[in-house]
Amino acid sequence: MPEIDLSAANTLSPHELARYARQIGPGVLTIEGQARLKAARVLVTRAGGVGGPAAQALVMAGVGRVVLAHGGALHTADLNRQVLGGEDLVGQGRAVPFARRLQKLNRFVTVEAIDHEPDQQEALRLAREVDLILSCAPTFAERLCLNRAAVAAGVPLIDAAQWGLTATLMVLVPGHTACLRCVYPEDPPFEESFPVLGAISAAVGSLAALEAIKLLSGCGEVLAGRLWLIDAYQGRNTQVQLQARADCPECGAAPPARATDTANPVGT
Amino acid sequence: MKIHIVYAGRNYPLSQQMPSALDLPAGASLAAALAALTSLLEPDTALPASCLVAVSGTHAGTVGRCVDRPLRDGDELLLIAPVAGG
Repeated sequence: MPEIDLSAANTLSPHELARYARQIGPGVLTIEGQARLKAARVLVTRAGGVGGPAAQALVMAGVGRVVLAHGGALHTADLNRQVLGGEDLVGQGRAVPFARRLQKLNRFVTVEAIDHEPDQQEALRLAREVDLILSCAPTFAERLCLNRAAVAAGVPLIDAAQWGLTATLMVLVPGHTACLRCVYPEDPPFEESFPVLGAISAAVGSLAALEAIKLLSGCGEVLAGRLWLIDAYQGRNTQVQLQARADCPECGAAPPARATDTANPVGT
Repeated sequence: MKIHIVYAGRNYPLSQQMPSALDLPAGASLAAALAALTSLLEPDTALPASCLVAVSGTHAGTVGRCVDRPLRDGDELLLIAPVAGG
């Protein structure tokens, strides 16, 4: 699991324990795991059909600092999959109002907004400031930019994506699993206007948050190094064990690992 | 031997014109299966190089950079055209 500075969290207050009472216990989180969430920092980019529900789940669960990055305005055609904003925000930027809405959900966490997509330099700086990156971008270029930053900083990257009624979810831990460039050695073609239904994007966003919560809290078995394919159109659910590439230009030479618990690197 | 083929992601249009199973000689390899599939495509079309390939749950690379391996009767060949919708 990622190395998280628990000193920043101290202990959970009685109010926090009351708030999270239903998610602390057998089969869910331990108190220590909840404290680890409180001390954790996560970058979510972007805040669309996948990233919005993911960020919402992280905030509700008590992840201490959630940084939401998204540039550009909300369009009418986006509304079929937004959980953080509605028609009143069409034409406006998303990150700030979405972060404001998220902040109202949980006073025990901090939500920050970045009103643009980070470039490579900013992505690397942000990666070094967080414990995990949730990649929910609509382009492979952005996803691979985040992957490069995650590998360089040694922080896990959770890649959640969808097309039509299909979703893929990957939990990639530098130094322990394949990275996104191992999976996509060739740049896949860009498709600007992909088909999407809100139910599938929200589903994979929530599952991405779930993997993040398990990884950060150290509770539950993480899907590290696996691709989870959810083909809701065909009713198919498949997992694939991913293989790292020795010749990967991003992680193949000497992948860094910020995680310190090498015997149990992914919190299983 | 029979190899089951599953198309996912942006491959749906492809799946409508392609078989869901291939009959290959015993001992045929993954490369042979991909070549057999390619031969069934319409002229001047190809499986995307970035298309992920997995055999019975194990990642084998992409169509463009695939580690060849022998197939076994009943293997499932999964072809996932990458998805990036957010």
